[in-house]
Amino acid sequence: MLRRTLFTVAAVMVAFMLICGCIGTTGPETEKQQLRIATTTSLDDTRLLNHLSTIFEEQYNAEVLVVSAGTGIALEYGQRGDVDVLMVHDRAREDVFLADGYGINRRVFAYNYFVLVGPESDPAGVKGMKPEEAFATIREKGMAGESGVAFISRGDASGTHAKEKAIWKGAGFDYATEIQGSGDWYLEAGKGMGETLTMSNEKQAYVLSDIGTYLAYKGDLDLVTLVDEGDILLNVYCAMQINPAKYPDISSEIAKDWVNFMITDEVQEEIASFGVAQYGQPLFYAAQNDWEKIGVPQTEVKDPIP
Amino acid sequence: MIDLKSVSKRFDDTVVLRRVTARVERGEIFAVIGPSGSGKSTLLRLINLLDTPEGGEIRIGGSSIHTKGDQRLRIRRMMGMVFQKPAAFSATVYENVAVGLRFRGVSEGTIREKVGDALDVIGLAGYEERKARTLSGGEMQRVALARAMVTEPEVLLMDEPTANLDPVSVGMIEELVLQINRDLGTTIMISTHDMYQGQRLAHRIGVLMDGVFAQVGTPREVFTLPTSREVARFIGIENIIEGVVVAAGSGIAVIDIGGTSIRAVSPFGVGEEVCLCIRSEDLRILRPSGEGDLHGKNSLPGTVLSIAPRGPFSRVTVDCGFVLTSILSWKTVDSLGIEEGEQVVVSFVPEAVHAVRAARG
Amino acid sequence: MYEIIEGFIEAGRLIITLDPDVMTIAARSVIVSFVATIAATLISVPLGAAINFGTFPGRKGLINLIQTLYSLPTVIVGLLIFLLISRVGPFGFMRLLFTPTAMIIAQTVLVLPIMTGLTISALSGVDPVIRDTLHSLGATRLQFLINVMKEARFAILATVAVGFGRAISEVGAAILVGGNIMASSFMRSTRVLTTAISLETSMGNIPKSIALGIILLTIALGVNLAITMVQHR
Repeated sequence: MLRRTLFTVAAVMVAFMLICGCIGTTGPETEKQQLRIATTTSLDDTRLLNHLSTIFEEQYNAEVLVVSAGTGIALEYGQRGDVDVLMVHDRAREDVFLADGYGINRRVFAYNYFVLVGPESDPAGVKGMKPEEAFATIREKGMAGESGVAFISRGDASGTHAKEKAIWKGAGFDYATEIQGSGDWYLEAGKGMGETLTMSNEKQAYVLSDIGTYLAYKGDLDLVTLVDEGDILLNVYCAMQINPAKYPDISSEIAKDWVNFMITDEVQEEIASFGVAQYGQPLFYAAQNDWEKIGVPQTEVKDPIP
Repeated sequence: MIDLKSVSKRFDDTVVLRRVTARVERGEIFAVIGPSGSGKSTLLRLINLLDTPEGGEIRIGGSSIHTKGDQRLRIRRMMGMVFQKPAAFSATVYENVAVGLRFRGVSEGTIREKVGDALDVIGLAGYEERKARTLSGGEMQRVALARAMVTEPEVLLMDEPTANLDPVSVGMIEELVLQINRDLGTTIMISTHDMYQGQRLAHRIGVLMDGVFAQVGTPREVFTLPTSREVARFIGIENIIEGVVVAAGSGIAVIDIGGTSIRAVSPFGVGEEVCLCIRSEDLRILRPSGEGDLHGKNSLPGTVLSIAPRGPFSRVTVDCGFVLTSILSWKTVDSLGIEEGEQVVVSFVPEAVHAVRAARG
Repeated sequence: MYEIIEGFIEAGRLIITLDPDVMTIAARSVIVSFVATIAATLISVPLGAAINFGTFPGRKGLINLIQTLYSLPTVIVGLLIFLLISRVGPFGFMRLLFTPTAMIIAQTVLVLPIMTGLTISALSGVDPVIRDTLHSLGATRLQFLINVMKEARFAILATVAVGFGRAISEVGAAILVGGNIMASSFMRSTRVLTTAISLETSMGNIPKSIALGIILLTIALGVNLAITMVQHR
């Protein structure tokens, strides 16, 4: 008898949950609109999105659901129409995405820089070098087997990884043949930015990170900034809508609202001041007035989507 | 009540039942005895629809049991079966006995009444709430019996029900079987490897050997008048001797066995090849006294081969040209004062000799 | 060493003060895995019975296949479900990706093989004489199945325990189909204990990870204890 009652109770619960779950996922009946955003770990791990989405949710009576993974996966989600907005930081791949018609209405809302961080002892002696030079030096010393010289890559097709590859290329190396698998000095983490930093800390190795994540984790790390100057280190974040022409039942209204939200003066203020109190310096720079500096068209920084 | 016609069954390459034919009358207790592996269990399982025969037909109450669906269920519910291994459901004794009634949708009140009565009958009143798994083998088998009977089946099948039980429990079960048959008129078919149990309980016995019923008859018939050498051996006749009838008249035949003559009460005619079956209990041992045939009795001189104990008796084997075994009490053996190697005379009446046709091959 | 101790202390604090973040994550874990286990039980028990007592060609092969699926990696299940419910997939119209429902489905699929297989084991372990007795007493097919399951209930309950344990402790599928989302509403979030532990550890929040880990173990232990008590009733 007990078992029978347990089963009935459970069956009722199952039904209840499934109904709730299904209702939850079919938009119209609920009062709050859902906005799905796919973003990169380097953006999410800094908690900037948490901060901004709270404001957005109140203003627009919506619910923001953030899935964070590498840029690669985020683009995949966008391509499959599983999300409404993409927030990534790989200009080259974004261009392809837009050209293929999967994304529309890109707006640039923030930027910062990548930095090369590593152990304070700096065994490869790269402090102050230009990025390409520093990379080449690390490789040279690493291949020669000098102790303590190691580089940890994101290895996950993320925006950061793309930037790293660009630097190797800029230094004159063929990534696939001369860097990847060229020796024990080069390790691929296959993880997000935070995790990769943690790993580099563990191994006291060199790693390329965006300044935002690095600062957010700095308190827990024994790594210092060694190279932070160089045009190639520029890191530009954008937000774009997934094209409703490709996926008609995407929440394109609220997506548009979010993208526009990102470039409003208030939010740009928020972005510029984010983390200052905690870390002593901002994690991001507002893109609003610096479109020339970061090399993007003014429209992408200023003009709201109609 | 139960009609078996040429029932056959095999498992892979082994033929277990060849051509089993028999009839169990309504209200009788029919015992199936036979050596182990002779197919007794298989036969009962076939009747209980737990397995299907290859060939032949089984009828119960006139209707063939080889049906499907509702009909099959109806027929099955007319029967009850008790198995060799007391199988207890992991529940209370009450629940165990009530299972069959529950299946039939009987109301709870009626169930309570019937279960209570059944437990009374088997002598386990008040055991309702005991966990069945905690019972002893004998107690559980009684519960199994109650479980089968509480649904009032017309036929009760029992597959070696007392095989694993202590003597006291065996006695209780046997009492119950007789009681059920007497009070309710249930037709009971019981298989057993203990032929004396068959003798105690059954109206008729069937000897299942080699996939067929070698003999079917009353206990007396089976035990004193075996119809074949194999049955004779199975029921424990130790002296089985082959010979040829050389003279016959007025119901007495004289059989020659390699030079020695034996007189037997038998209808066989001259020239017939026969097997003589003599129970060990019917053989007397005497000291040689030089006297000839004593009043028509058979007297065969021979040498004592061995004297071996068997309980309170002694088994004395004598070589009279062929081996004869006699069973005597110790007292008799002592007072005879015989020992191995001595000359004695084995004496028995012609009535004690049961002749059967010698088997071909 | 100090870090671990510090972690435990902080974990204790989070638990005792019923930190809302931690509590919602824990609650979600329990609900998702509980529902998944129930769903899987409702499917695997009848299925296991059908397979165990059925006679059909390829039965042995099917049982073998089920047992092979015991070691099905959770990420593969996750990937499979992901492909099915992604918007471009056959069930994309149901918009299940990144919802708790998707996680329930994934966990159900995940524990289905092992629960079916163990049910088959449990049922086949019932004494043949019991089965004969049930038939002999005139059970219909349904009555037979119910009673055999009653006899095997100890082992079947163990199956449920195994199923729940596996469901609540898996990470791969939960991340793939759930997205580890922390939204403002309870029903929309898909962060559960395992995915949260993964995330918090990767972010270096060790105390929180430890707290979540302790809770996860406690829940698993509690459920097993409850089932053991029912078994020995």
